[in-house]
Amino acid sequence: MSPATSAHGPPRPGFDPELKAGLAIVGGVFPPTITPELIPFMRRSYASPPVGETLAGRAVRHREYEIAGHAGDPITVSVFRPADAPGPRPVIVYAHSGGLMFGDRFNALDANLAWVERIGAVLVTPEYRLAPEFRDPYQREDVYATLLWTVENAAGLGLDPRRVMVAGASAGAGLAAGLALAARDRGGPRPAGQLLIYPMLDDRGTAASVNQFDGVGVWDRVSNETGWSAALGPAYRTDAVSPYLAPARATDLRGLPPAYLDVGSAEIFRDEAIAYAGRLWQAGGDAELHVWAGGFHAFDIFAPHTALAQGMLRTRFAWVERLLAD
Amino acid sequence: MQELLGRITALDPEASVAIRVIACFDELIIGNVNTRALLSTAASLAGCPAGYAQDRPHRTVRMDPRGQPLHGPPPDTVRAIDLPQSAQVWIEREGAPHANDTIIVERLALAVGIRLGIERHDIEPRRDVDVMLDGREPRDLRREAACRLHLATTARLRVLAAPLFAVWGTHARGPGDVVSSEFGPVHAVVVTADHDPVDVSPAGIGVATDVDGLPRSYRSALVALRLCAPPEEPAVRADDYGGLAELLADTPADHPNPDADRLAELMAHPWARSTVDALVRATTVRRAARLEGVHHSTMQTRIETLTATLGFDPMDGYGRARLGVAYLLWRLRTSRVMELPTPAALAAR
Repeated sequence: MSPATSAHGPPRPGFDPELKAGLAIVGGVFPPTITPELIPFMRRSYASPPVGETLAGRAVRHREYEIAGHAGDPITVSVFRPADAPGPRPVIVYAHSGGLMFGDRFNALDANLAWVERIGAVLVTPEYRLAPEFRDPYQREDVYATLLWTVENAAGLGLDPRRVMVAGASAGAGLAAGLALAARDRGGPRPAGQLLIYPMLDDRGTAASVNQFDGVGVWDRVSNETGWSAALGPAYRTDAVSPYLAPARATDLRGLPPAYLDVGSAEIFRDEAIAYAGRLWQAGGDAELHVWAGGFHAFDIFAPHTALAQGMLRTRFAWVERLLAD
Repeated sequence: MQELLGRITALDPEASVAIRVIACFDELIIGNVNTRALLSTAASLAGCPAGYAQDRPHRTVRMDPRGQPLHGPPPDTVRAIDLPQSAQVWIEREGAPHANDTIIVERLALAVGIRLGIERHDIEPRRDVDVMLDGREPRDLRREAACRLHLATTARLRVLAAPLFAVWGTHARGPGDVVSSEFGPVHAVVVTADHDPVDVSPAGIGVATDVDGLPRSYRSALVALRLCAPPEEPAVRADDYGGLAELLADTPADHPNPDADRLAELMAHPWARSTVDALVRATTVRRAARLEGVHHSTMQTRIETLTATLGFDPMDGYGRARLGVAYLLWRLRTSRVMELPTPAALAAR
C-alpha cells in the first residue's frame, strides 16, 4: 500500500490494493461525493436486492411486523430467526447504513445473517424513516421504538431480554450508539452490547480524517454534510443537535454497554471512531476498537471477498459471538 | 461484486461494465496482489468460483465469490484460458455463460500471468490502436496497424483521449481501445480531423495529423485531457494551445521548472488561480481586472505580489509567455481528471 498522491488538500493513507481495485466497480453505484441532487440516484443504486434472493437456501425464517414508530406512525420491522434453535434466543436490533437518506432494512443482510445462522441470534431490522422527508427525531425514535417493542415482546418472540445487542452500520451505527445513550438516560432496557460498525457519530465534521478523502473512496466530507443536513435541517451544526443522533456530542459516556467499533484507516469516520472509543475508555467503559489499514468506508459491504473484509467480518463476528452465544 | 455490476447495468444500460472490469484488474496488477486475491476478485465479479492450476510443481487454487478457498478438483466443464508454462485459469460457470464472463477470464489470465512472472506481451498480443499510437514502434508496423483498421495513410486524423469512466453523451466514430499511458489507462479513439464535436466529459482532443503523426496527436490529446476541469471545462482541444500542447507533451510531468514551482507557492492564495487565469487570457491589466471582477488597483496589487514571488514581471515581454507556460504546467501537475471515477459525471446522468 503506497501513500496516495493528492494534488490538493492534505496527504492521506492509500487504499488497500484489493479494495482500490474494487472501487473501479463500486464507483459505478456509489460515487465518492454525494450532493442533495444525487439522493434519488442513491436510493435506486443502494437499494438492497430482493430479500427472497438473500434468504434462498438458508435455514432462516423471516417475518415482518408493523409496529408503532415515532409519533405512533406505523413502521415495518423485519425479524430474522434461525429455523431451528431451541430456548430463548439472543437478539440484535440493527439499524442499516445509508447516510440517514437511503438504504433499507435488508442492507448488508447477506453478511449479517451469519449472526442468525451461526450464533442462533434473532436479527431485528426496522425500516426507519429517511431524511430529508423525515428529519430528526424520526430516525432515532423509530429505532428506539423498535428496541422497546423487541424487549416488550421478548416472551412472545422467543427472545432472551438479557441478551439484546444494539447494532448498526455507518449512519445506523450512529443511531445504535444514540440508542445506548437514550436507553441509559430514559431508564430504558439496558443492551448487552453496542456494535458500532464504522459509525457516523458527529455532525460537526471537525476530525482530521473528515477532510482527508475529498472526492475519493466511499462517503467523503461532502456526502457527510449532505446526510447530516438532510436529517438535521436548520439545527445542523448548532447546539440544538441531540446527542442521540450525533453521539459524539454526548458529554457523559459513563454507564454504557460494552462497545465494539471498527473502521477503515482510509475513510472520513476513522478519527471520530477512534475518539469515541477513547472517550468510552476514559469514562471507565468497555470498548474494543479495530482500525483496518487501507479500508474505505463500508468496504465489507462492497467488497466482502477481499482479505481485509474477511478479517473485519471475522473479528467482528468473534466479538458478537462472545457476547451473545448460548 | 457481480451484483454491483448488475446494478450498474440496470442504472445505465449504456455504461461499459467491461471497462470497469479492465480497470479493476489493472489496479490488482499495479497493487501486485497474490493469486488468491486475483481469483477472489474474479469469482466475486463472476458470481461463481474461479480457479488456477499449474503443472510443475502441481498446484490448484480455487476461490468462491465470497473469497473463501474451495477444496478438491474443479468441475469438468469450466471456461478456461491457457497460460504459458502449462498453467491455466478458469471460472466455474454452471449453465449459460454470462455477458461479462469472457472479459473476466481474459483479465484474470493476464493478471495471474503477470503475477507468475510471465511478460505481459507474451499473454496479451499488442492491439492495433495501441501500436498505432506508440511512437516507439517502427513506422511500418504502425502503418500496417492503421491499414488493418482501414485508415488511409493520407487521411487527416486526430486522437480523442478520455478516462475510462468518462461520460459520453454522443459517441465518437472511429477505431478505439483502452491504451496505457503514464497517467493510467485511457480510452483512445482515432477520429477524422473534421469529426463533429463529441459530447463527452472529460476528454482531450489531439492535434490533426496523418497516420504517421498519430503518436504526436495522442500525446497532445493527453495534455488536453489533463487540462480539463469538469464540469466547467469538460473537454479541451489541443488545437487551442497549438505548439504549446506539443511542447508540454514532451515535458515529463515531474520535470522541475522554476517558474511553475514558484507559481505553485503562489497558488496557496485563494485569489491566485482565477487571477492568473484572467491575466493569461486578457490583453491588458484593465481587462484582466474586469474578467476577475475586481478593481483595477486590486489587480495591480496582485500583480505586484505575483512579480515578487515569481521574480519576473508577468505583464512584460517574455514574462507573459513565462506565466502562461508556468500556469499550464501547474495545471498539468495538479490535474485530477484521471482520478477515477468522476463523481460529477454520475450527477449529470
